[in-house]
Amino acid sequence: MTRYAGGLPGVAVAREYKYMCSDPGQELIRQDIRDHGLDRIVVAACSPHLHEHTFRQAVALGGLNPYYFHMVNLREHDAWVHTDKAAATEKAMDLVRAAVRRVKWHVPLEPRQVSIQADVLVVGGGIAGIDAALTLANAGKHVYLVEREPTIGGHMAQFDKTFPTLDCAACILTPKMTAVKAHRNITLWTMAEVRQVEGYVGNFSVTVCRKPRYVLEDLCVGCLECIQACVYKQAKVPDAFNLGLGKRKPVYIPFPQAVPQVVVIDPETCIEFKSGKCKKTCVEVCAERHAIDFHQKEEIRTIQVGAIVLATGFEVFDAARIPYYGYGLYPNVYTALEVERLVNASGPTGGEILLRDGRKPATVGIVHCVGSRDEHTNRYCSRVCCMYSLKLAHLIKEKTGAEVYSFYIDVRAPGKAFEEFYNRVAEEGVIFIRGKVADIYPAGNGDGRVILQAEDTLLGMVRKIPVDMVVLSTGLEPRADAAAVRRLFNIGCSSEGFFLERHPKLAPVNTFADGIFMAGCCQGPKDIPDTVAQSGAAAAQALALIDAGVVELEPNTAHVVEDACSGCKTCIPLCPYSAISFVEEKRAYINEILCKGCGTCVAACPSGSIRQNLFEDEEIFDEIEGLLVPA
Amino acid sequence: MYDVRRTLKFQRDADPRWAEEVAARPGCEGLFSCQQCGTCSATCPLSLYMDLGPRRVIALVREGFRKDALTSQTVWLCASCYECDVACPRQIRLTDLMGSLKREAARCHLYPRRFPVPVVERELCEVISHGRWRPESWRILGAVLRFSPAELCRLLCRRGGLNPPRGFAGTRPSDRRCP
Ligand SMILES: Cc1cc2nc3c(=O)[nH]c(=O)nc-3n(C[C@H](O)[C@H](O)[C@H](O)COP(=O)(O)OP(=O)(O)OC[C@H]3O[C@@H](n4cnc5c(N)ncnc54)[C@H](O)[C@@H]3O)c2cc1C
Ligand code: SF4
Ligand code: SF4
Repeated sequence: MTRYAGGLPGVAVAREYKYMCSDPGQELIRQDIRDHGLDRIVVAACSPHLHEHTFRQAVALGGLNPYYFHMVNLREHDAWVHTDKAAATEKAMDLVRAAVRRVKWHVPLEPRQVSIQADVLVVGGGIAGIDAALTLANAGKHVYLVEREPTIGGHMAQFDKTFPTLDCAACILTPKMTAVKAHRNITLWTMAEVRQVEGYVGNFSVTVCRKPRYVLEDLCVGCLECIQACVYKQAKVPDAFNLGLGKRKPVYIPFPQAVPQVVVIDPETCIEFKSGKCKKTCVEVCAERHAIDFHQKEEIRTIQVGAIVLATGFEVFDAARIPYYGYGLYPNVYTALEVERLVNASGPTGGEILLRDGRKPATVGIVHCVGSRDEHTNRYCSRVCCMYSLKLAHLIKEKTGAEVYSFYIDVRAPGKAFEEFYNRVAEEGVIFIRGKVADIYPAGNGDGRVILQAEDTLLGMVRKIPVDMVVLSTGLEPRADAAAVRRLFNIGCSSEGFFLERHPKLAPVNTFADGIFMAGCCQGPKDIPDTVAQSGAAAAQALALIDAGVVELEPNTAHVVEDACSGCKTCIPLCPYSAISFVEEKRAYINEILCKGCGTCVAACPSGSIRQNLFEDEEIFDEIEGLLVPA
Repeated sequence: MYDVRRTLKFQRDADPRWAEEVAARPGCEGLFSCQQCGTCSATCPLSLYMDLGPRRVIALVREGFRKDALTSQTVWLCASCYECDVACPRQIRLTDLMGSLKREAARCHLYPRRFPVPVVERELCEVISHGRWRPESWRILGAVLRFSPAELCRLLCRRGGLNPPRGFAGTRPSDRRCP
């Protein structure tokens, strides 16, 4: 390869070096520029995504304009996608030849500099969003926290205890939730969603829609008297926060520690909304404060922010998708999240573990990997279910003294103090059976018991164990609307649907869109410690961006050749970023700051009078010719 | 008779190349992705009669313990109901694998000891892999001779008006080896 490249017309020196991106490698480039008086540099190595910047800097330090450099992606475009070594080597030669021909047309360019908005948008108010917002706000940035539900808190607010330390979830979460509400640098919008995102790193313009709650947030003091007064004497509506295990009224507060402490009216079940003929006892009791407003409308706000942190979290796998586990069919088959609510003191049973018929279970089976590690549902391991299964096994045993069986494929307890917790639970007498449950069916004697059938792979025998209660440890999935959110923010996702990080190891909270970061389970399943670590990292990244004050943008923008433009306006509606306008002297004008360099207008202009930096006609044509015509 | 089995496995008993060869057969590609979760054994309606169950057969095959896998009763008890196939979280096509092992066992005359290997299945395998075709009457005679020579005697004796001899022992299928 090196020999071949060295023989190409125009090439003064060609070198092979194993670690070109390392310091000595970069020094090699600088040295060669000095020694040979080079004026163009081509590196054929890994992806420009990873190291184009590195090499441009090296070239700049060598005294050349950084845009005299061009990178050939021999990794994704060649080595990683072919198995035929000889053919791949030939392709590599073609690619290098094309690059050498293109690079001679390169002209010196300067990156564009734009200033940055200081405010930050955080989307999602689970523990990830809460923590990121607080960190940013404490650093003096103004934060908009947009949460879809009537309260912040996310999934963590539904738990009783948290593994492995068993500290009470509410005790560690509620102080943070109230701190969000009280912080003068945080604007909290609940029942809100992002509708539109425009702009670019440092200068995003975001449209947020706030749905009506039918209670005015500034006037409601959270006395909850309206709930008492509601014409519904009994709570009748299945309560989503308790996953339908409890009931609420049409006017409600999701849970006692909800933030903001403001009630919500559900128009689907409120009589006033359905018939307009309610006595409105809630309004009567709120007569002094006038907080209830049945005519509240959707509110659209547009904000300018410099950076965005996505923390939209996860969704629990729907256990009904696995029919042989009988969820939804047998009343005593529960999901883990439901059991979290049953053990929670503020849950529907006041913290007692009771079956739907009011009995206390004497035997409980916990089924791991429901909707995880299975080609039929999700291939990946959900990472937290083993640990929360251990936690629930402990809590169930502690509260009911029941015999607990835990059916696992492998217990994944790799975190700090996790294995010790596993040991502790095993010592408490929880019975671990290595084998995936293959079937759940009624015991047949009408007492609601079900039989769990699994192979005890360590004994090599199939076992049938009757239990009073089944806990399905359901996995974590991307949110149902993750794909829509992803498109809205123009970021990527991995094959399973979680948001994609820029680099799995070195840029875990960055997305492929500059200025948009992510934290928590929207990036992949993880526990609370990892979520909080990520939200800190995302906040730090956002701070680093904003505090730099300016951001450098690639100079790969398009520009109109003044005299050639005929003013036909073909390009104007085509630009996806609305960067082209029409100026009086009868010609198109491209705003360099808005232009993202997509090249649509360049290709569309009938008179060929739009040109694009780094993609000049000569550069492209010579590159193509280089590819097709062997030297 | 005692039938003591050695349970220590030496690495020389294993044939990893055979495992790779099996994994290359159509339908057996998933062999090495098995996570030993036991779903197959737990769903199999016949596993309660099996000596190993499908999961352990997979474990033996991928370690290359050829003889243990091929002489297991599990392979012959598999009724090709596809229950495990449908349930396996790694979508391993266990039924195809069992079929492949059956064919190999018949081809190499490796059968479980003291176990009535399904005659039709075996004969079919023999016809396919050796092209050996025997007339049906011959086969019936063979089967009766093997499993119940006493009955044959009784039949013949009844015709001839003789008394059948007592305590006539049947011959056991020989432990034949692969050529
Ligand atoms: C049953 C169970 C038990 C668990 N137990 C433990 C435990 O004991 N210890 C532990 O460490 N971990 C535990 N976990 C894991 C823990 O739940 C997660 O690590 C943590 O909740 C992740 O927080 P998050 O903020 O990323 O996501 P979430 O908690 O899901 O929060 C996301 C928030 O974003 C909001 N949102 C989503 N989409 C949008 C949108 N488009 N616009 C606006 N807002 C949006 C949601 O309403 C939600 O409030 C458990 C998980 C489960 C399922
Ligand atoms: S964490 Fe445990 S239960 Fe969850 S998918 Fe992974 S192995 Fe299965
Ligand atoms: S069900 Fe599939 S993965 Fe599980 S032990 Fe059987 S073959 Fe292996």
